[in-house]
Amino acid sequence: MTKQITTFEGFVRQVLKIIFWVLVLTPLVGVPIYYLLDSVFHFGIDVFALVTTQPLKLLSLQLQLIGTEPFHSLFIWTTFPGFTFAAIFVTFFAMFWERKLLAKIQLRVGPQYAGRFEGILQMIADLFKLLFKELITPNNVDKPVFWSIPFASMAIAGALLALVPLGPTTFLADPSIGVILVFAILGFTPIVTLLAGWASNNKYSFLGGLRALHQMVSYEIPLVLSLVGVVIISGTLDIMKVVAAQTGIWYIVYQPLGAILFFVTSLAELERMPFDLPEADSELVAGWLTEYSGMGFGAIFIGLYVKMYALAGLFTTFFLGGWLGPAFFPPEIWFLVKTFFVMTAMILPRGIVPRVRIDTMLRAGWSRLLLIAFANIFLSMLLVGLGIVHVGVG
Amino acid sequence: MADIVFLAMMVITVGGAILALEASEVVYAAVALAGSLFGVAALFFLLNAPFVGAFQIIVYVGAVAVLILFTVMLVGQEHLIKEVSFSLGKLAGALTAVAIGIALIAAFAASRLAEISEPLGTATYLQIGQLISTQFAPALQVMALVLAASVVGALTLAKIEGEEDKT
Repeated sequence: MTKQITTFEGFVRQVLKIIFWVLVLTPLVGVPIYYLLDSVFHFGIDVFALVTTQPLKLLSLQLQLIGTEPFHSLFIWTTFPGFTFAAIFVTFFAMFWERKLLAKIQLRVGPQYAGRFEGILQMIADLFKLLFKELITPNNVDKPVFWSIPFASMAIAGALLALVPLGPTTFLADPSIGVILVFAILGFTPIVTLLAGWASNNKYSFLGGLRALHQMVSYEIPLVLSLVGVVIISGTLDIMKVVAAQTGIWYIVYQPLGAILFFVTSLAELERMPFDLPEADSELVAGWLTEYSGMGFGAIFIGLYVKMYALAGLFTTFFLGGWLGPAFFPPEIWFLVKTFFVMTAMILPRGIVPRVRIDTMLRAGWSRLLLIAFANIFLSMLLVGLGIVHVGVG
Repeated sequence: MADIVFLAMMVITVGGAILALEASEVVYAAVALAGSLFGVAALFFLLNAPFVGAFQIIVYVGAVAVLILFTVMLVGQEHLIKEVSFSLGKLAGALTAVAIGIALIAAFAASRLAEISEPLGTATYLQIGQLISTQFAPALQVMALVLAASVVGALTLAKIEGEEDKT
């Protein structure tokens, strides 16, 4: 695969390329991994203190986003509330539940012969099918952009996942500006989908990418504004403190409009059924996913499901009191139960409502949802101003 | 010895900016511009200003870069790139660049940056909000007026175009 270097110019270019990648990847990938391993194995020598003037500054990007403790432990980040749990278990059960629920709604039986219980092994068969399929790169696609999309999709989903707290002690990151960071991370998705559509060099993909861009840009603004009410009432941008402020009454009581808005706009952000125009399989084959095959498709798909879990978790966190609940279950169980119900509500429309048209959808987004969002902000300002709700107290 | 995080961010920022100007494919240029703006956001995080950094990402990467990409794909490459031979425009550009460089160096030399020895604390969003609503309230009002004027202007333009379509 490597090209033969014949000229001096090629040699210089190769050297510069290597320097560039070392400079970019060492602090962004190498240092977090080193400190992650250091928190478990305690190497003793702080290698990176030798190459930088302020060793803590080196990690300040990560430190500021995580909060006080740099890394709880390897387990929390990688296994239980972290990526393995979300990407394997939640995705597995969400897909299984989606298929079974939709089959029951539409009076289909679905595959029963794989596995004893309702064909549960079908999911594993699908995973192995994706894993062993050939990774096809079609002719004339833009290779670097095309193959960076699966990684970008997973990265966005994982970053969003880090902001969802499962319990008072089981959380991945506790940044002081968590609510803002949700939108900062979601802001990357239109670029990724548009580039996926463009790089595939396929009309279906490109149309899907353009639709995704339109709907995400116009539904991101109501999504941002729907949380302003929560921020006004809780008086903080810290996601953990938003949950703590809901000890008395969940915010869905004070913010019914905000909750509906957040739910609808996150459906649009996730490209789920009434708004699944970007990958409308009866019009556009698979929209911006058309040209991906094998595990490239699998990675994007897992990314979409992790994103769905993260947004359902954020809905639970902002409006349904997060991990709060009677003490006979641990907080994580309460969180997962509530998130399960929100995810079911996100899956249900796929079985019961038809797809909307792009122009009606955009008009509704810009004229109706935006209006409701502003009304919601003024209502919550009134609630606080008239003294009905006290800022920061349940 | 330099801070390698800072170095990496500068490589991303400056490299992205150069690529945004020099790339032959306009879409690559737009993506490189997004990367450059993301590098600026990372510099804000390094400067203990996570709030500003997050908004840099939301506004510039999430909105401006997306709009530029969208324009590129809507208009097409042939309408965007014009061959510029060495002319008055290039000369004026070079002169402006040199002037801005000199002004920036003069400003940094005149400021008292070198006297700061201890790291300053993190600027929280509460402090920013307090300053904006007390000391800088006039600036906030002027900004609000400018935004309102631009919204009204955009609506008027859209309405004029819509009426032309009808007739």
